[in-house]
Amino acid sequence: MRDEDILIGSLMEDTWLTLEQVAAACGVEPGWLIRHLEEGLLFPHAQNMAGVWRFSGVALVRARRMRQLERDFDAVPELAALVADMLEEMDAMRARLRCLGG
Amino acid sequence: MQFKDYYEVLGVPRDTTAEDIKKSFRKLARKYHPDVSKEKDAEARMKDVNEAYAVLSDPEKRAAYDQLGKGHHPGEEFRPPPDWDAGFEFSGSGYSPGEAAGFSDFFEQIFGRAGMGRGGFGQTSSSHGNFRAQGEDHHAKVVLDVEDAFTGATRQISLRAPKVDAQGRVTLESRTLNVKIPKGIKEGQVIRLADQGAPGLGGGPAGDLLLEVHFKPHPHLRVEGRDLYLTLPVVPWEAALGAVVSVNLPGGTVKVRIPEGAQSGRQLRVRGKGIPGQPPGDLLLTIEVMLPPADTPKARAFYEQMAKEFAFDPRQGG
Repeated sequence: MRDEDILIGSLMEDTWLTLEQVAAACGVEPGWLIRHLEEGLLFPHAQNMAGVWRFSGVALVRARRMRQLERDFDAVPELAALVADMLEEMDAMRARLRCLGG
Repeated sequence: MQFKDYYEVLGVPRDTTAEDIKKSFRKLARKYHPDVSKEKDAEARMKDVNEAYAVLSDPEKRAAYDQLGKGHHPGEEFRPPPDWDAGFEFSGSGYSPGEAAGFSDFFEQIFGRAGMGRGGFGQTSSSHGNFRAQGEDHHAKVVLDVEDAFTGATRQISLRAPKVDAQGRVTLESRTLNVKIPKGIKEGQVIRLADQGAPGLGGGPAGDLLLEVHFKPHPHLRVEGRDLYLTLPVVPWEAALGAVVSVNLPGGTVKVRIPEGAQSGRQLRVRGKGIPGQPPGDLLLTIEVMLPPADTPKARAFYEQMAKEFAFDPRQGG
């Protein structure tokens, strides 16, 4: 493949990531995702459509954060989810603050 | 290549226990957590800490590293002896391929062949007769300017990806891709590049490359989905009397009507002027009334006259 080639990708709609894709991107087993989905810990970035899980792009960030918290600190999934909730809220507030301060 | 002292990175003595390694790692993981750390090089330090922990927390890798590191000092020029790793067997590290790709050349040189973690790396069973499998999808994060979402753009993206050579050895290979960023892209959206992932095994099709889009923080604009948030400074007479003002956006200028009697903090919604798309986002302007400075005698006289003419006290009845 030549580096000069310009690649044109297809845009994936938010709800397009499959369970396997998210699992591969975050370095987790699909079973890890399923367990967390069943416990409602990845809400609201995942939805079950006729028995098939679909994920928004934001789910990647969330799943990765939760997995790191669980791995690095041996956090129980509920605690990792709580921290992920807070980090997400912090992201949103920081973005607002940046605009107000800028 | 320089020798890396993983014990020094974690701040533990060489004869320390697995429990102390874990304890020290957690302390540092908290200190350098990229989302909350106040240290300016937190991300780079966290990478080092992760790399050190990937080795020292794994009894196999730690034993191999200790064996290899005898008599070496940090920063020293280092070259592993050939076949030094014979007799060691590495199983994954618990780190995702994406994280392991951020590890140093030192790590790659030592554990690159087998220690990169699960998922594809080293699982090259292509020698099994007619084994055939689709290559893995690869994932990467790209950081774009908000402006790119308005106009579309072609961005050069550098990636490090594992590659299996003819001898079945895994190395990290850097490659640069020119990728077209479509107009109207949103934060968190994923661009799929067909066949740019890992090559297939035994003649199977290649995997895809999935690019996860993030925007760089912008000093004035904030993006939520396709909606664009912006603070609009106006002068007192525009706010009081109403006016049509020009607002510069990455996609060009739009004219916006300020309603009569607008106050600071009021939000105006301009439909369809956010990030383009189906449907386009809205532009949300927060009005901020800016006072002209009273820095000339004439300006001071104006303010003094206003003070006399207006019977206005915003603190009354509040």
